[in-house]
Parts: sequence; structure tokens; C-alpha cells
Amino acid sequence: MSDIRLADPTPVQLLAEDGTLTEHPIFSKYIEDLDEEILRELYRHMVLERRFDTEATSLQRQGLLALWVPALGQEAAQIGAIAALEPTDRVFPTYREHAMALYRGITPEELMGTFRATRHTGWDPHAYNFNAYSVVLASQVMHAAGWGMGIKQDVATGTLAEGRPENELVLACLGDGATSQGDAHESMVFASSYELPMLYFIQNNHWAISVPQETQSRVPLAHRAAGYGFEGLRVDGNDVLATFAVTRYMAEQIRSGSGPKLVEAVTYRIGAHTTADDPTKYRSKEELEVWKSRDPIARYRAWLESTSVIDAAFTDKVDQEAAELAKQLRKAVHTMEPVQLERVFDTVYAEPHRQVEMEKAWLKDYEAGFAEEGQVADK
Amino acid sequence: MSQTFNLPDVGEGLTEAEIVSWRVSQGDTVDVNDVVCEIETAKSLVELPIPFAGTVQELVAGEGETIEVGQPLIRISAADSGGAPPPDSADSNAESASSAAPASEKPSVAPAEEHQQEQEQSPRGSGEEQNRALVGSGPKADAPKARPRTRPAALDLVDVSDLGVRGGNGRKDGRSPASALGHSAAEVVRRAAPPVRALAKRFGLDVVQLVGTGRDGRITREDVEAQAQQFSGSQQSPESVSLYEGPREEQVQVRGVRKATALNVSASASEVPHVSVFKEVDVTRMMELRAALRNDPAYENLSVSPMLFAAQAIIRAARKNPQVNATWHGSHYTLCNYVNLGIAAATPRGLVVPVIHDAQAYTPLGLAAALTALTAEAREGKTTPAQMQGGTVSITNIGSLGLDFGTPILPPGQASIVVLGAVRTKPWVVGGQIAPRQIMTIGGSFDHRLIDGDLAGAFISDVAAVMEQPGLLMA
Repeated sequence: MSDIRLADPTPVQLLAEDGTLTEHPIFSKYIEDLDEEILRELYRHMVLERRFDTEATSLQRQGLLALWVPALGQEAAQIGAIAALEPTDRVFPTYREHAMALYRGITPEELMGTFRATRHTGWDPHAYNFNAYSVVLASQVMHAAGWGMGIKQDVATGTLAEGRPENELVLACLGDGATSQGDAHESMVFASSYELPMLYFIQNNHWAISVPQETQSRVPLAHRAAGYGFEGLRVDGNDVLATFAVTRYMAEQIRSGSGPKLVEAVTYRIGAHTTADDPTKYRSKEELEVWKSRDPIARYRAWLESTSVIDAAFTDKVDQEAAELAKQLRKAVHTMEPVQLERVFDTVYAEPHRQVEMEKAWLKDYEAGFAEEGQVADK
Repeated sequence: MSQTFNLPDVGEGLTEAEIVSWRVSQGDTVDVNDVVCEIETAKSLVELPIPFAGTVQELVAGEGETIEVGQPLIRISAADSGGAPPPDSADSNAESASSAAPASEKPSVAPAEEHQQEQEQSPRGSGEEQNRALVGSGPKADAPKARPRTRPAALDLVDVSDLGVRGGNGRKDGRSPASALGHSAAEVVRRAAPPVRALAKRFGLDVVQLVGTGRDGRITREDVEAQAQQFSGSQQSPESVSLYEGPREEQVQVRGVRKATALNVSASASEVPHVSVFKEVDVTRMMELRAALRNDPAYENLSVSPMLFAAQAIIRAARKNPQVNATWHGSHYTLCNYVNLGIAAATPRGLVVPVIHDAQAYTPLGLAAALTALTAEAREGKTTPAQMQGGTVSITNIGSLGLDFGTPILPPGQASIVVLGAVRTKPWVVGGQIAPRQIMTIGGSFDHRLIDGDLAGAFISDVAAVMEQPGLLMA
């Protein structure tokens, strides 16, 4: 293993907090040639997700969602990373990658199935190359390593499925809290040993529910990569351009066969961990204010406006589209139908299975034994 | 038309919330997602956005009030034209006429309109629109489970034990005490929210004992408060409740055995430094021998108790460890080359310790006869003071009281007292295997001025050896 250095603790940054662009010897080149259309898309997707997110929080507060997991403040980290990858790259998300999910084209209705408690997973992972949300912390990074091993095997044996590129990479998302799980360790050991084409993307949002990042790790999380024998980098996760550039840079290396890499996107969870959490109980208002002043969208917008990539007409149009998306979300949540029990049983095995059939028949009979709404019980 | 916003479950499985403050007043105009109030749940302080647009008609619950999930919070009269109503609301009248059609056939129906239809079909409907809380999540909204069953579940369809599916149903009407519905932790959790359980704990109440008057038999804050008063009998002064019939306090004269015991134990306890040791013994073989002796005609009508074996074991052990059988006099002590065995007996008069003088002279059968006669006399209260004099070593059998260990106080002038615990069947390692064996704890208190731990231990071990292997008495 050659030359694995500890990541610079100062995160890579291209856009300063006031929206001025700075030069970086390695990473600037990844954004210099970007088409203006792509720059606008980055902005548009961040704004869309933020509006979507606040609407979802409202819907949960109105009793229409079981739970919501806000991604507020992490838009740049998510959009920067996903936009730097190919649509064929497989994403293994946590439960907070809403910006990535929407970017890949997952619809509000599909995304909300789980949060409305009408579906276990609302979308077909193969249709979007975007796996199901994983609520069990860090379990997805194991699956991601497994997928990575699958790619290697398929390439080695020449059995790659039609339409799948040879240089596919796996994006394994995790949070700062999940890095303490044994699963994260095991996944990284496998990735390193088998030189899997994986990018570990840690969104360090500083809080694992109520546990601060300082408790989670005494060193920058990106330093962990060196222990496994691969490269890790810290990037300002509130800087969409830096996140894009660093992800592109890492993706290039991975595709050229250099094994796994790790990116720690330093960002902040502006909202609650979930709607069942009250962050005011464990973190200070001052800390929140500091991070609010580093807002990823405001910073990027300032730069786009100063360089005339966008104008008021464009931002108005995006705002309108965001409002429309929120409306679409509200309507989708109202019209979602609960999953039919039949479907729950029918999707256990590909082929009919005696025990499942018996259980289904039993439950059907059990359900049929209840009085209908309004029918008076005869005792 | 007015629309009612019911308190939703804003956490995971919350059942109630307190209204902290209202941000709107009657007559205010609100838009969809405007924050109307702040509530505090068991988990957090939460701002509630309204799902309707219109004018505030009524704030149903006041600040500081705690209401249950699903209860009305605020009523809004629909916006005149603009605002949030769904785009196709003009069709709502025509649509709602065909109210029999299941909602699944109309995926395009708009939210507010769908609510309205459902409300009209519902028996609870009163022309108002209520927001429908999420179904299928949390304890409040599980509608199908609240329906009464018309017949028992057909358990014979499958072998439920194999599948781990629980059949049957314990649905009762909502007013039975929580205990009637099972004590399982899950049941208690379902019926009382964490703050309610905490409240019950503060009052020292067991939640499963409470009657829930909330929906679905749920135990509310009010239930706890009301029943706390009931349980503590707050109508009467605590003094008027006594433990049993009789005066509140009574002066009782100390006399007889009580008085003698009091004098003896306080003299002994204050003068003699006691030391106690214990040992667990496998007495299975002794119990087998006991069963055999009971069937022996020679022992007919005689008490063959662990005490009989212990008495012989003590005599044998005293022979090997003379110093346990002695009396301390300060500048010297008397070693006794005989055993006057005291037998502690609980009698109606109190604790008496009759003595078998020169117990070393008895045959086993004779000792059994002496023990039987002595305990019978003691129980009848016929033990004379003379019979209680001169003991050198005593036995107390607390096993007959169902106890295992105890640290007895030495009778005055004696240096040793042996205590016998109850015989219990316990798992025991025999030859590397765990086997059910009959186990007894034996121990004793000793005068530390005369007897150190090593001697006490040797003595008790010698007693224990005989209890474990009564055959040693032949050696």
C-alpha cells in the first residue's frame, strides 16, 4: 500500500462563506469547466429539496406522516456528491438522503411511502440505482461492500449484466454516528482487502441524535481511512462546489482501479434528528446560529448571482417549482393507499410457499372476524 | 363549513400533549402550514402548523391544558375563495354524492374533499370536517384493532404454536382495570404513556392496578390523580386507619419468658463478642437415613428430625474440638468433658432452651426419645427452670421456620450454638454433573474470646461431615 497520508484537518473549500470563489491546486479544475446549466441544476436541486423537507415536517406535525427525518442544512453535501457521480453508480443511502433521492428522480410519493407507513420501501432500487433507505444504522455500508464485491466478481468472470458499466462505483452513505458501529469497520476492512470500487461518504452533521461529534471521534473521521489503508479527505459539506470537486476527484481514482476512498463532508444538521427529537435539549442556540450563518444555499446563490449565472427570473422560477413540488407532496401523502396485506405475504418468496399461504389465510379469516364499522355487536 | 384540526401524534407513539401557547386568536386568518400553537409532548416542544386555510373559529383547548392525541385542537372556517383548498374542490358536492365508492378507486381525489366524504359516511359525523390522523402508526390510530370481534379467530386453520402467532383476543370494554388485561410490560406501556407512568410512580401507584377511562381503556393523568386520592383514602385522616382492630398504641408489661430472654440476650450480646460461620451441606444421604429410621418400628412415635443427626454430630465434633464446649470466666475458662445440649424451642410462652444433660451418654435411640419428650414438654409450656440450666452447647433449628441462615445469640455461659437451616432441593455438582440434591445451611455463633474462626470452622466442618455422611457416626 503506497503513501496513505492523514487527511488535512482543514476541510477543502472552494466557496468561502461570503460566496467568493477561492483557488485550490487540485480541486479547482473539477469545477472550472462545468457547464452553466449544471451549476444552475445544483442550485435548483438544493432549493427543491429544502422546500420538500419543510413541507414534510409540516405534514408530520399535522399527523399525516409517522415520522420525518429532516435533511435541512445538508443539501450541498448531498447534491454535490450525487451530481459528481454517474446515474449508473449505485447509492446505498441512510434514511436522510432525500436530496440525493429526489436528484435521482424518485418521486415524492415513492419517497414518502415509508414515512407515511404505507410501504416498506416506496421505490424500485434497480430503477434508480438507489437502494432502499436503511433505518438500522450502518447496515447499508455492509450491503454496499457486498454490492462492490459483486461488481468485482461480475467484471472478473465476465458476467456483468447488460447495460451495466465496468467502472461502476458504489456510494456508501453514512453519518458521523454510524462510523462508531461495528458494521462500518467491517465494511471498510472488506473494501480495503478486496480493493472494492467504493466511496464512503460520511456526512458529519456533528450530532448523532444527542451525542456530539467530539464524543464520537477524537480525530477527524477522515483519518480513519488511513487506518484501513485508503485515502480519506475532509471537505466543507456546506460548499456544494467543493463537495462536487472532491467527489469527482475520488470517483476518478476509484474508477481507475485504486480501491476504496473516503470523503468526510463537514456539515451541520440544522433541524432535529427526526420529528420525534427536540435538539434544544442538548445543543446550544449559539452553535445553531453559527451554522445557520454558513447556509449552503445562501452561499452558493450569492456566488451564482455575482457571476450572473442566475438571475431573479431563474430563482423565482425555481421557487415556484419548489412550491409546486410541496403541493405535489401534500397531495401524494393524502392520496396514498395503505399497503394491502396480500402484498406483504406475496412478496416474501418469489414462488408460492405453504407456510406463508397458511399464515395469509389465517390472517384473512382473523380480519374478517371483526364487526364492520357501525355494526353493533350483538351483546 | 368548518374544519377541525385534531391533535396529531407528533412523536412516535405519543398519546397526549400540553398546549403551551397559542399563536393565533379567534378571527385570525391562517394559511396552510402557518404555525398556530406550540405544544409540549413527553419528548419535545413542538410548533404545530395548520393543515387548512381560513379563519380561526375556535381554539378548542386552552393554554396549559393537556389533551389526548385525536382530540380537537382548533376549528377553522374555510377560506372564502383563495387560500389552500384543493384545486378541484368545486366538484366536491357531485363527488360526495357517490359516497359508497371506496376511496381506492379515486386516487385523484383531493385531500380536503376526501376528508369531507369520509366524514359524511362516518357515524360520528356532524357536518364538520376533521383531519384524519395517520392510520397504521402509533397506538392511537390503529382503527381495525378497536373494532369488536364477532367471532373467535379460527385457530384451527394453522398450527399457531408452530408459527408463533398468538390467537384469541383479550379485548374487553375499556373500563376494566389494566390488571384485568394482563400485566405484561407491553400492555402497561400501551395503556399508559410515559409521563402518566411517571406520575403514577410519584404517587406510589402500580399502573396495572389503575382503571383507564381514556379511549380504548387508556390510563390518563386524571385517572392517576383521581385514583391516587382513592387509594390513599384522602377522605379520612390517616390516623383513623389502623393495622388491626384495637387501640392505636398499647403498653404491654414484660414478664416471664420474655423478660428472661431479654435479660439473657442483652447480657450475652453486650458481653460476648460473637463470631458466626456458615456452611452449605448436601444432606441427601442423611435424609435417606431419616426416611429409613422413620420406617423402623424402634423409632415409632419418636421424632426423627435433622436435629437428631445434628445432636450426634455435635457430640462427635465436640470430642474432636474440646474448646468449643467451654465456659469463659475472664481469667480462666472451664473445659467440659461432657455435652449438656441445649435445644432452642419456640413455644407459645416464648423462646425456651431446655437442656439434655450428658447427651454424650445417650444411644441414638435414647437421644431421639429425649428430644421428642423435651420438645413436647416445651411446646406444652411444661419446661421447668431447672431443665434450662447448665447447657454447654446449644442447637437452634430455624429451618422449621422456613429460614436458611441466622446468627443466634449465645445462651449465657455457653461458647457455642449451632444453627440449622431448612432442607431444600437445589442444583448441586456431584461428580462433575449438576444433580438435584437436598441442601441445608448449617452454621453457628461462637464466643470469640475462646474460639477463633479456624476453630469455629473446624467444628462446623466436623458437624457438617456427619450431616453429609451419617455413616461417620459408626467411626
